[in-house]
Amino acid sequence: MNVITCYKIVPDDQDIIVRDDRTLELGKAELEIGQYDLPAIEAGMQVVADAGGKVSALSVGPKLLENSKLKKAVLSRGPADLYLVVDDSLADADTHQTARTLAAAIQKIGNIDLVLCGEGSSDLYSQQVGAQLGELLGMANINAVSKITVEGDKLIVERTLEDEVEVLEVSLPAVISVTTDIVQPRIPSMKEVLSAGKKPVTQWSLADIGLADNPQTIETIDTLAPELAERKQIVIEGDSEDAVNELWENLRQELQ
Amino acid sequence: MSAMKNVWVFSEKQDLLVELCAGARQLGEKVAVLLIGNPSAADEAIKAGADHVYLMGELEDSRMVEDFLPTIEKLVAEHKPDLVMFGNTKRGKLMAGILAAKRGTSVLADVIEFLEDGTCKRRVYGGAAISTIKSNAEVAIATVGGGVFGTQALDESRQGTTENVDFVAAESKVKCVEKRAKAGATVNLSAAKRVVAVGRGFADKEDLKMAEELAELIGAEIGCTRPLSEGLDWLPRERYIGVSGVMFKPDLYITLGISGQIQHMVGCNQSQTIIAVNKDKAAPIFKQADYGIVGDLYKVLPMLIEKIKAGK
Ligand SMILES: Cc1cc2nc3c(=O)[nH]c(=O)nc-3n(C[C@H](O)[C@H](O)[C@H](O)COP(=O)(O)OP(=O)(O)OC[C@H]3O[C@@H](n4cnc5c(N)ncnc54)[C@H](O)[C@@H]3O)c2cc1C
Ligand SMILES: Cc1cc2nc3c(=O)[nH]c(=O)nc-3n(C[C@H](O)[C@H](O)[C@H](O)COP(=O)(O)OP(=O)(O)OC[C@H]3O[C@@H](n4cnc5c(N)ncnc54)[C@H](O)[C@@H]3O)c2cc1C
Repeated sequence: MNVITCYKIVPDDQDIIVRDDRTLELGKAELEIGQYDLPAIEAGMQVVADAGGKVSALSVGPKLLENSKLKKAVLSRGPADLYLVVDDSLADADTHQTARTLAAAIQKIGNIDLVLCGEGSSDLYSQQVGAQLGELLGMANINAVSKITVEGDKLIVERTLEDEVEVLEVSLPAVISVTTDIVQPRIPSMKEVLSAGKKPVTQWSLADIGLADNPQTIETIDTLAPELAERKQIVIEGDSEDAVNELWENLRQELQ
Repeated sequence: MSAMKNVWVFSEKQDLLVELCAGARQLGEKVAVLLIGNPSAADEAIKAGADHVYLMGELEDSRMVEDFLPTIEKLVAEHKPDLVMFGNTKRGKLMAGILAAKRGTSVLADVIEFLEDGTCKRRVYGGAAISTIKSNAEVAIATVGGGVFGTQALDESRQGTTENVDFVAAESKVKCVEKRAKAGATVNLSAAKRVVAVGRGFADKEDLKMAEELAELIGAEIGCTRPLSEGLDWLPRERYIGVSGVMFKPDLYITLGISGQIQHMVGCNQSQTIIAVNKDKAAPIFKQADYGIVGDLYKVLPMLIEKIKAGK
């Protein structure tokens, strides 16, 4: 079974700074693998542990993907190799452009049985790329999958919806978006971190995958922090009897 | 989106469909509903705001909701409405994405507001910001959740037309072999006036009993952060608050061992009063609270519970 797991590099949201004019400063934020893409990578590792085969990781985006720490971070989580499609125009890609780029890369890699996506990216969280990718590749396509079992040339998956769980038979090849709790992602061992640097990385440009023309269909006009409600911010320090008394007085007011 | 003539709506969830119909009325001159169901469901959709109902047939055992996509796609290609809104359930998101890909466009994902000038707003970076976005597609496709338009009473006297459309069959690569109800999906937190919310400051599931006792004493519901329900599995998902969970405005919101990350706070920062217990003085929650105590919840809670009991 040849498995591809798709992950997005995102800014750590704790480092996002809101400027006085409510615009965001992202430049200083630490970059990381999307939190919700880690379970997808681990789910891929489980599938090949059960059914044999190989997991490759794939990400598309601007130049910052080339950062060697980020490459090692994904490879230390198990994948045998890594594919990147790098072009600065992808920084503002909409979900359709992202899905098209991923589809073209996956077709170029070739011979893929299963593509795994996360529940959504940790920054924009459109939860759209997987659904669109499945359609563009013409593969079986399903989201919200919380369990995957390989059965011959098919998968049996559980899909957790708002108020029901479906058990589905999915033909291969397939694109599957998994839930965040499908499996607990690993913490890479020292050995995994060290060997990550030796795994092969293939990097392509948009031209390499034959995507010269990839027009935008959704325009982002602006992005601003919302105005926040004023809070009293009365903070009592310490967990002494007196402190709790004071808290209780405040709470008592609110309960009236 | 003032210039819109035709707005279409789809949701497999009746309550969401009703909300989206009411919203579609505000956005477009004519509202059509893509419906899976029977003629009486079509009448309901008309009362909710539809001018026209495309009745695509009923959900049989052998068919998944998603199997209706080719039918939807054909109708959209024929009539080219200005906007198709999908309810933002998991199914709705998948279906919107597939339709968008077929049409070579993106989805306006989880729109929270449609503006007069044709743009719309959505939350990004876990709620730390709101983006204004615009679709350049001939047919814009959006996913929209509950609460965006609010509910409106059904108008029993509304008139509309219903059209039976043929089901477009397609080879399906995904087959449903079994369905089961999810347990415990019964709480409706969004209506709660008082909430005691618990976070990873709790070391053990057993310890939540303290929070439950506090909640009971003050007539509050229990809520939590996402890691406690997804990951730890201590509480059902209907109880987690935040950008991907419940968003509401209770009168009183008490946080216990919650750090105050933006993804959580967007769900509750419209609360009237926020009280925080956290042992870390630097936790972001204190900047977003009215009253806070920097202390160990394992000490504060038992004392507080005693005081409430004594005060009663
Ligand atoms: C402020 C802002 C607002 C935006 N709003 C919209 C919008 O409303 N609609 C829209 O269509 N686009 C929008 N975009 C663009 C778009 O959301 C993203 O740039 C991108 O296309 C992926 O969408 P996402 O991050 O939400 O991914 P999701 O759809 O949430 O991602 C799902 C999964 O797809 C995979 N994946 C996502 N991105 C990549 C990648 N680059 N490489 C490999 N795998 C990946 C991951 O497995 C991920 O878990 C916006 C961009 C910005 C900057
Ligand atoms: C795309 C995306 C969507 C998300 N959506 C949501 C969402 O909808 N809702 C949500 O909640 N989260 C969401 N998250 C997760 C969110 O980013 C945070 O990780 C989460 O809210 C943190 O939960 P917490 O405060 O319980 O845990 P932590 O951040 O670990 O905080 C625990 C706090 O408890 C305090 N503490 C520890 N021990 C004690 C003690 N004995 N006494 C007192 N205090 C103590 C610590 O000081 C700390 O501040 C989302 C994340 C992403 C990436």
